[in-house]
Amino acid sequence: MRRFVFLCVVVFLLSMAVAHAQKVTVTIQDYFDPAGGMAKFVDRWAEEYMKANPNVEVKHVYIPFAQLLPTILQQALTKTLPEVVMADNPWVPNLIKAGVYLDITDKVKEWGWENWEDFFKGHRDLTSADGKIYALQVTTNNLALFYRKSILEKAGIAEPPKTWAELKEVSAKIKEATGAYGFGFCATASEEGTWQFEPFLWSNGGSLFELDAPEAIEALSFLVEMVEKGYTPRDVVNVSGQGDVTQWFINGEVAMMENGNWEFGWHLTPDVLEQLGDVGVATLPVPREGMRPIVPFGGECYGIGANTVDPQKLKVAWDFLSYIASSDGMLAANLEHGGLPTRASAAEKIGAQKPILAPFLEQAKYALPRPLVGGGEKYPDVSSTTWTAIQRALTGMKTPEEALKEAAATIRGLFSPEEFEAHKKQARELLSAASGK
Amino acid sequence: MKEVRAGYFFLLPALLYVCVFGLYPLLYNISLSLRDVTFISYVQGTARFVGLGNYQELVRDTIFRRTFSNTLLFTGLSLFFQFTIGFLLALLFHRPFPLKGVLQSLIMVPWVLPIIVSGSFFRWFFSDNGMLNGFLTAFGIATRPIPWITSSHLPILSVTMANIWLGIPFNFVLLYTGLQGIPEELLESAAIDGATGWQRVVYIVTPLLKPVILATLTLGCIFTVKVFDLVWIITQGGPGDVSHLFSTLSYSLAFNKLHFGKAAAVLVIMLLVVAALTVFLNLFQREA
Repeated sequence: MRRFVFLCVVVFLLSMAVAHAQKVTVTIQDYFDPAGGMAKFVDRWAEEYMKANPNVEVKHVYIPFAQLLPTILQQALTKTLPEVVMADNPWVPNLIKAGVYLDITDKVKEWGWENWEDFFKGHRDLTSADGKIYALQVTTNNLALFYRKSILEKAGIAEPPKTWAELKEVSAKIKEATGAYGFGFCATASEEGTWQFEPFLWSNGGSLFELDAPEAIEALSFLVEMVEKGYTPRDVVNVSGQGDVTQWFINGEVAMMENGNWEFGWHLTPDVLEQLGDVGVATLPVPREGMRPIVPFGGECYGIGANTVDPQKLKVAWDFLSYIASSDGMLAANLEHGGLPTRASAAEKIGAQKPILAPFLEQAKYALPRPLVGGGEKYPDVSSTTWTAIQRALTGMKTPEEALKEAAATIRGLFSPEEFEAHKKQARELLSAASGK
Repeated sequence: MKEVRAGYFFLLPALLYVCVFGLYPLLYNISLSLRDVTFISYVQGTARFVGLGNYQELVRDTIFRRTFSNTLLFTGLSLFFQFTIGFLLALLFHRPFPLKGVLQSLIMVPWVLPIIVSGSFFRWFFSDNGMLNGFLTAFGIATRPIPWITSSHLPILSVTMANIWLGIPFNFVLLYTGLQGIPEELLESAAIDGATGWQRVVYIVTPLLKPVILATLTLGCIFTVKVFDLVWIITQGGPGDVSHLFSTLSYSLAFNKLHFGKAAAVLVIMLLVVAALTVFLNLFQREA
């Protein structure tokens, strides 16, 4: 009897093991809102893929934004990285250096090099290192000027402002005519604060490595003046994020705002746009006429986790990656997600379907990857030093000049003199290429 | 002898629990604080041993020094006001009056609300265009909005006010429960002997409540030094790093700047401060 039970157990365990071995489980890990367009797109792909390949199980795991980096860190330490690892683009150089991503150069070559060359340069620079490719950016976004036509009309303004001087002038007129704030942006103690300042800094010819230069001081002084004159609420330093500014915008408390195209898939959905009926978008105002708005790009990258050794799993992971990064896949995903494609061919098509994206697509051509103009793996340090300076200046604790001089000294101290010069030079080169001068 | 051995055996699960979930993380944190741990060096396991380097850097850092005084101010003011108000309310509720039950439940509201709710409320309440400034300007108390959370010195006081509001129910409940344990006859006979209300509180209630008071203060102290969520939701330690507590500074060092070593060092210092304060409060207990 005892032997019989033992046999049964063995048979059961063996059959379990066989069943387990037959099923190939692949995990896609990201922070896309499970109810949002991108998550739905990925879910649909997984469902269809599993139908076509019954032996494959694709799991789509959602990790909230704030937890994703600590989670990846923990997974890398314990060598339990999922097969598909998504990351916000500024983390990617760090993750590549830390060995989180598998080198996919050969896969990309097999796929077709023309696919790789279709990606905009900034995205190629970001996801590769020393000539090797580690991830693919599938969606991007940047910042433009949103405005409420009806509020502008009340103040007797027909066209959105194109320069900083016009932005100030229009804000003054709006304040006088309606009492509303003219312009909202986000200056929180987080990456969002630095990211919203960068268009002002860069368009004016400034650089994160030359924060004590007149161009940088001029840029910050402009924003400080907007707050001091009452054209921008001082609460911009304490909002919980860029979405709060959109809330003001929807309520009509601010007439114009600096914000990103993801808002079309988040707060400014088609029904909200229809209800408001007066939302327009323009490229960000520039310091002087004829200059180009230079913005940082956002967006997410997918890559293959370094612990993926099983060729079957690798195949599934690559099938996913090469689909969502294909021209058509990327177009469909971004239409649903409200993002911008990172490939020229897909960007062209989305522009024809969604004309409201035109200002973003125009700016995307010269948009810059933050880590590459901001100190590489030390970008988080450079960025937090910068947002602290922005907050100090906006709240009047320090003048823009004092705050930025202090920040410049701190940033200099983060690097060895050679490293500092190298980063400064790289930033300068990318910035001048983007400005078209 | 055998019984003693059996006793140790029964102790084993608890001991294991403490070692795995208490001691190990603690020691690991200390070891992190002695190394130069960044994202890359952490994953690759190449973090350099720097001795007390992280601590030295912190002591030189003006933001850390500001955080240190912020935490002491936050803890001191919070404890003082939470305790005083909680104690007065407990005394009030110790006697029957109409609607007592309803009011008692209302006092508990701050404790029942999730911090994300009260925190988001306070962020709006204190903002330049928020409720408090709206009230102050409407009644002509202030001519222009007071920068409660958008200036250099007020933010830490504003979050302290929010924390006091949050902590009153905790102090109230403990002290109120303690009061129930004081025999009614004692207070009655004191009243017959001619003791005034104030004298009864100072000479009878307070000495009898001493153990409860010390426990309340000790727990309150531990809870207050390590407050994180409230400050994070209202100011994120800003603007310009002026309203950090140890906890928020540590979080921001770890997950904004990826300096895990320095972040761990802040936590070790926080632990030492909590330990010192607890020992200090326990001194009174021994006297009793």
